[in-house]
Amino acid sequence: MPVTPSPYHRLNPLTKAVIATVGSIGAFVLGGYVGPIAIMVIMLLLAWRAGVLARLARVSLLLTLPIAISVVLVSVFTRAGTTVLFQIGPFDATAEGVDFALQTLVRLFAISLSIGLFIMTTEPRAFVFDLERRGVPPRAAFIAVATIEAVPTLVERATMISESQRARGLDTEGSFLTRVRGLLPIVGPVIIGSLTDVEERSLALESRAFSRPGRRHLLWAMPDEGWERVLRWVLFVLLVGAAVARLTGRI
Amino acid sequence: MTRLDLEGVGFVYPDGTRALDGVDLTIGAGESVAIVGQNGSGKSTLVRHFNGLLRPTDGRILHDGEDVADVRTAALAARVGIVFQNPDRQIFAGKVRTEVAFGPKTLGRSATDIEAATRDALAAVGLSDAADANPYDLGYSRRKLLTIASVLAMGTPVVVLDEPTTGQDARGVARVQQVLAGLVADGRTVIAISHDMRFVAGSFSRIVVMGGGRILLDGPPAEVFAEPAWPVLASSYLEPPYAARVGARLALGSTPTETALVEALAARG
Repeated sequence: MPVTPSPYHRLNPLTKAVIATVGSIGAFVLGGYVGPIAIMVIMLLLAWRAGVLARLARVSLLLTLPIAISVVLVSVFTRAGTTVLFQIGPFDATAEGVDFALQTLVRLFAISLSIGLFIMTTEPRAFVFDLERRGVPPRAAFIAVATIEAVPTLVERATMISESQRARGLDTEGSFLTRVRGLLPIVGPVIIGSLTDVEERSLALESRAFSRPGRRHLLWAMPDEGWERVLRWVLFVLLVGAAVARLTGRI
Repeated sequence: MTRLDLEGVGFVYPDGTRALDGVDLTIGAGESVAIVGQNGSGKSTLVRHFNGLLRPTDGRILHDGEDVADVRTAALAARVGIVFQNPDRQIFAGKVRTEVAFGPKTLGRSATDIEAATRDALAAVGLSDAADANPYDLGYSRRKLLTIASVLAMGTPVVVLDEPTTGQDARGVARVQQVLAGLVADGRTVIAISHDMRFVAGSFSRIVVMGGGRILLDGPPAEVFAEPAWPVLASSYLEPPYAARVGARLALGSTPTETALVEALAARG
């Protein structure tokens, strides 16, 4: 087990995955304001405990804002309602639209905080190895870890490709439109390069007997305390309970 | 013509790694300069400053005496073209011709100029026969030559090549040397990063040795590869070319190339 900076980091990866899943699905199931805001507060408290509060808040805002802006615009001006707040051309901004937009926003933030906290506090390999220890086939585990780890690699590759295109005069420093135009010549090499990488990595793995059948010994042992197992089940039951209550109209 | 001046240039990456530390360097118009050094010595970081891909955290960069701190990379690209090491991180077009035309097109050249520049650049690297091929149908060596052509077509007064001979067979290396000689003959400035000491000794009039983000040696091949400089080269995990080592063993003085070695032997009689 690698050195980790906080007790939250040291939780079993599956526990953190369950917290993220219950937080994300829970925000949708509960709806309204109280449930998603409670989830947001819990996630922010956990992030504070894990020492990633500022980073999580910043990343969550950055990830959610583009979607949030479009959600607000679409909901406020297109949602049918009786209370018109103001008009822009043919579009009415209704109180019902504002209410719907706000509810969607708190859900989005609750989801991004839940998932963000998991990503920032969990080593992808630790999560996948833990799943492998629980019986997930090595091939599936590899696909999962390769997918998770592909993101920073893709970002690095995109940066390098962007540099090479900028060196040939592609302007990516101007307006929003200029930046979008600058993205097009980057997409091709990123995808082709990634496919080549996948092919080469597969060959390298096969040459090291990756698909050999039989049991594997994992050298990385993840702690999984009894109370964590209880917590996971409690969270799962709470989520199911909330879903049932929602379906039956009790909340 | 573009003269490059670096004055006390330092660069620290966001993760805190100091890649350049007080680099003072002047590269005159029309010079051919090789930059060598171990991995992580700051070579690639240095050349990315020439066209503004990276901006110095200390010091300044001047093009013909003008501080380029506020000039966009898109504008600097008309003066300094950079060929990156990995062709697969540069090529994006479905046709060789389109790939080569991309640079002059972004620089706003006329259709006639773009066509002529594309044709000439492809001829220079020996890819005229592949103008309509898909770049990914070419072998690695030819894809690398394609990236060189795509920068040559821009007609920049300064051309920077990052590891131009990596992955090239003898024919490819000869082709690269021929291209470089053509550029130098045209009066263009050529700068290359390389780990191939034989190539740099034979193709460049000046060699800059880097280590730890600083310039350790700077001079003509005969000086940089002369025996007294070997400890400095060793500190950057570099070995002088074979011809230089043979010349030193035979007490022939500094013989960085085979030609210099043969001439020294002939002179000895």
